[in-house]
Amino acid sequence: MGLGFLMPNILGFLAFTTLPLLISFFLAFSNWNLELHNFFRPDATPQFVGLYNFRKLFQEPDFFRFLGNTLFLMLGIPFGIAGSLGSALLLNHKFRGENRRIWGVAVASSCLLCSCLLLIMLNMPGSTTLLLISGLFAVILLFGSMGGQTVYRTLFYFPHFTAGVATFILWKKLYSPENGPINNALQPILDWISAASANFSTANANLISNLLVLTLLVCNALFIRRALTRWREGESGNISLLVSLLLLTLPAWLAGQQLPLPWQRMVLPTGAILTYLAALWQVKRGKIFLAKADYALADAVIFSSAMLVFSFMMIGLVMLVERLPETQAGGLTPPKWLVDYYWAKPALMLMGLWGALGSNNMLLYLAGLSGISPELYEAADIDGASDWQRFWNITWPQLANVTFFILIMSVIGGLQGGFEMARTMTQGGPAGATTTLSYYIYNQGFNTGRLAYASAVSWVLFLLVLIVTLFNWKFGNRYTND
Amino acid sequence: MFKMYTIKKGLTLLLLNLLLAIVACTLILPFTWMLLTSLKRLEEVGLNGWLPEIFQWENYRSVFTLKGIQFGRWYWNSIFVAAWVTFLQVFTSSLAAFSFARLKWRGRDTIFMMYLATMMLPGLVMMIPNFQNMIRLQLVNSYAGLILPGAFSAFGTFLMRQFMMNIPQSLDEAAEIDGASKWQLYWNVIMPLARPALVTLTIFSFMGNYNSMFWPLVMMKSPDKYTLPIGMLAFESAQGQQTNLLMAAVAMSVIPMIVVFVCMQKHLVKGIMLGGVKG
Repeated sequence: MGLGFLMPNILGFLAFTTLPLLISFFLAFSNWNLELHNFFRPDATPQFVGLYNFRKLFQEPDFFRFLGNTLFLMLGIPFGIAGSLGSALLLNHKFRGENRRIWGVAVASSCLLCSCLLLIMLNMPGSTTLLLISGLFAVILLFGSMGGQTVYRTLFYFPHFTAGVATFILWKKLYSPENGPINNALQPILDWISAASANFSTANANLISNLLVLTLLVCNALFIRRALTRWREGESGNISLLVSLLLLTLPAWLAGQQLPLPWQRMVLPTGAILTYLAALWQVKRGKIFLAKADYALADAVIFSSAMLVFSFMMIGLVMLVERLPETQAGGLTPPKWLVDYYWAKPALMLMGLWGALGSNNMLLYLAGLSGISPELYEAADIDGASDWQRFWNITWPQLANVTFFILIMSVIGGLQGGFEMARTMTQGGPAGATTTLSYYIYNQGFNTGRLAYASAVSWVLFLLVLIVTLFNWKFGNRYTND
Repeated sequence: MFKMYTIKKGLTLLLLNLLLAIVACTLILPFTWMLLTSLKRLEEVGLNGWLPEIFQWENYRSVFTLKGIQFGRWYWNSIFVAAWVTFLQVFTSSLAAFSFARLKWRGRDTIFMMYLATMMLPGLVMMIPNFQNMIRLQLVNSYAGLILPGAFSAFGTFLMRQFMMNIPQSLDEAAEIDGASKWQLYWNVIMPLARPALVTLTIFSFMGNYNSMFWPLVMMKSPDKYTLPIGMLAFESAQGQQTNLLMAAVAMSVIPMIVVFVCMQKHLVKGIMLGGVKG
């Protein structure tokens, strides 16, 4: 009886999921290549070749390069999560709840503000575009202050909801290096910078780049201290500590070798070694605090990788500043975005962030926020906690399971992602800079016809996803019970 | 009179509104540019100003008459395919979910675990053999080949089951005492109560298929069978220089989604909670 109801579904399930799965598994161990085995050569049949595909895959540099691309693009995830949490926090206010008067004051003052803004803009000789944008802003502000959460949530959710080929094409046009709106808007700013830095000497450049390196060092040190403290206080486990230390020091160390001045090249490795020594010392001293369970791994991954991106950005900035005296002669030009080898990935990440601010994750966070019991906040108020403390000691730990879930889902999605963007916007280029694993599989399987090899890659991708999923099973439940 | 407290709170709210409006405005800017550019003449496109001199509404009409671009046809294909997939998927998923959630039979949980396990498989793993099977079944470049694999969804089954688990079990017993068959229980008792989940799955599935790119890209070879995403790709590579027309096409393909979203917001939000938090 039960099977009767299941029948329509399970037949399709067997035909279009289970069967292809089995075929794909065997395919991965064969040498089926459409160039060799096709309709016109009936005598050539695919052979079983054992682990040949997998061996080839690990010997070819391509696979690791594209895996690296995929992982690089995934560095946008912590920012996406932070963005969606930020939007959720902003949206989680009572806009018209307790007191109509308060709401009235807000609406009235936003009306006033809008009219002032528009009047000023009308009288300014500036461009109509600016007037238009401020008009749009005024409309959003008016409707938002009247409608509250619903209006903003709708607007925030648009980019995520409409994401697809159409919006990718739109972004391709936005990014276009000649006369694209982004570069049109950037050019005046860059002109202003190059005019302001007309008398920029090498000494000044050195000074500024040194300051930037120092900032980077201080930020890194703060984050390392945070990781160590959390571990010592038993809030995170050993794996978390290891992950944060490695993510915080190693890539910065390696990327730091690109820095222009000799002492700058020295300082990051020294910092890293000092960190390891400090950590070792802590481990020796704080044996009793060793946390067994690996709590807070999501926390560690998010913070360390956000810091990682920040370090990369700082290092890039330092290099830019050092080169400023040479380049300012010819004037600064905006980046070529999708056409440029180094800018293509950041461009895609930026677009991802645009979609991530108000995504499903924001809605999950909103639900999580409404689930936190108000008593916790009342208790914090009595203790006189600041907003900052309230966030770090109540909101963030209470949302830990939501964050963990979102992180796992984003990582799984990120590993498989990038196909649509690559196919629509860059064709995997320039020079393979945006080819992710999924686009690679598509290319191998459907363009070059190396079916067996593509299957092997897809099974390796599956193994990667499986590792993340197993991780989720091992630590996810514990997280939710906490 | 206003109290100090009211003013202070109101100003905080204003500040919050300002911040939200700035972010929302930034997020909407690409769409604004898209709409304005779609109304420009081609010569104006690269200029700095966003506003068109004269609004060229006929751009939208000329998208349909462009040579080699069967925009109306693609529109129709997209909606046709998405509607079929959605109908089949909702039907089979709800039946299977009913079986998993409300009936007891041997091996039920094992099979359900199997369903769950395939949800974490990358869809790419199945694509290559699926395509080869379609070649053998001679379904390449046909609507059936596009619709069939999408009609059976593990995710839909999972979503519906989660919802049906929460319907009180006593209803089943009451229906049984009244002499209802299992089919009547499904059709007259459970389905009406599971309407929120049905609506959610319908929206998810329709939007997902309207937007889906991989499978149509592989399957559809002749331009008159393209769905909108594939058509947009073809448009972009054939007439990509005509930015204004391209943007008009982008706007027209995005607008249905925005309409669906604004109308169905409540259900969507509920559904995302259902699929996310409890999973």
